[in-house]
Amino acid sequence: MSQRLSDRIAGVLLLIFASWYGLTARSFNVNFIADPVGPKAFPFILAVFMGLSSLYLIFKPDEGPTWPPFSVWLRIILVVISFVAYAYMLVPLGFILATTLELASLSLIFRGPPLRSLMAALLFSLVMYALFAFGLELGLPTGRIFSFLGV
Amino acid sequence: MEVFSLLAQGFAIALQPINILLAFVGVFLGTLVGMLPGIGPINGIAILIPVTFALGLPPESSLILFAGIYYGSQYGNSISTILLNVPGTASAVVTAIDGYAMTKKGRAGPALAMSAIASFFGGTVSVIALMLFAPLLSQWAIRFGPAEYFALMVFAFSTLSSLAGANLAKALISTAFGLMLATVGLDPNSAVARYTFGELKLFDGMDFVVVTIGFFAISEVIQILEESSKGQQVKSALGRVMISSREFIKSLWTMVRGSVIGFFIGVLPGAGGTIASFVSYTTEKRLVDRQNSFGRGDIRGVAAPESANNASANGAMIPLLTLGVPGSGTTAVMLGALLGMNITPGPLLIANNPQIFWGLVASMYIGNLMLLLLNLPLVGLFVRILSVPRWFLLPAVAAISFIAVYAVNNSPFDLLLMTGFGLVGYAMRKTGFPLAPVILGLVLGPLMEKNLRRALSLSGGDWTVLFSSPLAIGIWILALASLFLPTLVARYTVIRRVDSEEDGEID
Repeated sequence: MSQRLSDRIAGVLLLIFASWYGLTARSFNVNFIADPVGPKAFPFILAVFMGLSSLYLIFKPDEGPTWPPFSVWLRIILVVISFVAYAYMLVPLGFILATTLELASLSLIFRGPPLRSLMAALLFSLVMYALFAFGLELGLPTGRIFSFLGV
Repeated sequence: MEVFSLLAQGFAIALQPINILLAFVGVFLGTLVGMLPGIGPINGIAILIPVTFALGLPPESSLILFAGIYYGSQYGNSISTILLNVPGTASAVVTAIDGYAMTKKGRAGPALAMSAIASFFGGTVSVIALMLFAPLLSQWAIRFGPAEYFALMVFAFSTLSSLAGANLAKALISTAFGLMLATVGLDPNSAVARYTFGELKLFDGMDFVVVTIGFFAISEVIQILEESSKGQQVKSALGRVMISSREFIKSLWTMVRGSVIGFFIGVLPGAGGTIASFVSYTTEKRLVDRQNSFGRGDIRGVAAPESANNASANGAMIPLLTLGVPGSGTTAVMLGALLGMNITPGPLLIANNPQIFWGLVASMYIGNLMLLLLNLPLVGLFVRILSVPRWFLLPAVAAISFIAVYAVNNSPFDLLLMTGFGLVGYAMRKTGFPLAPVILGLVLGPLMEKNLRRALSLSGGDWTVLFSSPLAIGIWILALASLFLPTLVARYTVIRRVDSEEDGEID
């Protein structure tokens, strides 16, 4: 039974989520009646729907997947940390610097050769900046730390 | 005939320089995302949506670009399938059987050429069908009221759920989760904030570009960490990328049948290229495989699935354009993009915005021609791109995803949301929850709730209104049937057939 544990855990978590979702909907009160259903009904239906499906999952789980070994988990955690760091660094450091650092770290996590990873990261960031900021007119941050340069 | 004058107007739009360029960019990128394992048309389109908004492209131009990526990916997906036995997308899995067998016999060139020609054939036949059927269907769909629309969306969800994965309960949970994400934000009817945790950034709701890129691109980057980090070297020589006229004639009826099968399966919500290519392959095997050569490198085994999956991509545009109810993840992303441009596809789209429909149809003729030219002489170039190492490719995908997500609201907060959805998506992939229903739910959720509440407003709160018209009842019956029939049919026929194929005939 133990290899069916993944689905059972998922089912329990989803059941808790559906209950929370349905209970939260009770607080969606409106003072006036805009339509006979109001903002509660649709969420209630969804909560019941997900709750029943997750009950089914708890009682009839599939074979679980093979979860990756610890070394892979470590790399997954590193990737996620780098994503979060990027979200916080992007505006202060600016697109080019933040993206070069992020790409270089990701390449290393994907076991790229160090020097070529760094070179590729810098080149790709510059090309992307040129393409998206100048060619496609997306506003990408230039970097708060460079504000003394007047950009 | 009226069709020809409308089509001529369509060509006047599609032949504008900007639209020719966008069709080319679309089919080129489509070939790339279709070919590279791990990146599919959903990612390609979602990443380009903020770009089309920033450039202020008109809806028809954006749709020309997005559709180009969609059908272009059906050409590209066969390249890595035939050469490496690694399907670029799920709809090319069947192509691997005979396509890779041909490569092992040193006939990779003819296999690639057949795939391009069959894709062109399927693409072109199905554009003709799209052009003829879509206006008829939209005239019929004008009589749909809110109750019928609500039932129709339930039908779309039930077919997608029953066909999306092995486990129906998981697919239904995915659907419910997508619809729940759609309820985040201010309720448009009453302005009550729902599930926002008081966070102002969530008042506008979850942006579907952020969610889609998180679910599809980021989760894929995470998942590939489990695999090896090398690029794939194509070792086999391509040979001449051409087929003989004898091979063409031999495959002609296979392509005709594949195109028709693919188109009609594509129209059905949920079915799509994977099922179309599978049905087409098994049909041909039964009809024309006299020497028992399918599975051993028969060129018709490439022609059948490739014509079918291309035709299905165009067929899938029909429910999107005529009903406004997409039946797949990719067309759901296109609907999201159109809604963002204040275009609500539905029965009136073709009548009110003929430039969108006819411009798109005309561009599909042009785009398929471009793809044929791209894929026959230039296939060597694409093959070289396949050997880009993963340590560069995946970080590059991540960086482009960041740009697109950031550009939606110029907000780093969205990057955090994206990361969160990437992790959830990874867990869902691992545990067998299909991802496409989440996106369909997110995009259709607001429309579904709106139609439900409108129907109940008209009836004064009487829920039986949902089942009051014969049309609505018919759709409800179809929805229920589609939920349970495929599971039963699959259990008793298809799986057995696959088993018997795998037992004896591959190799």
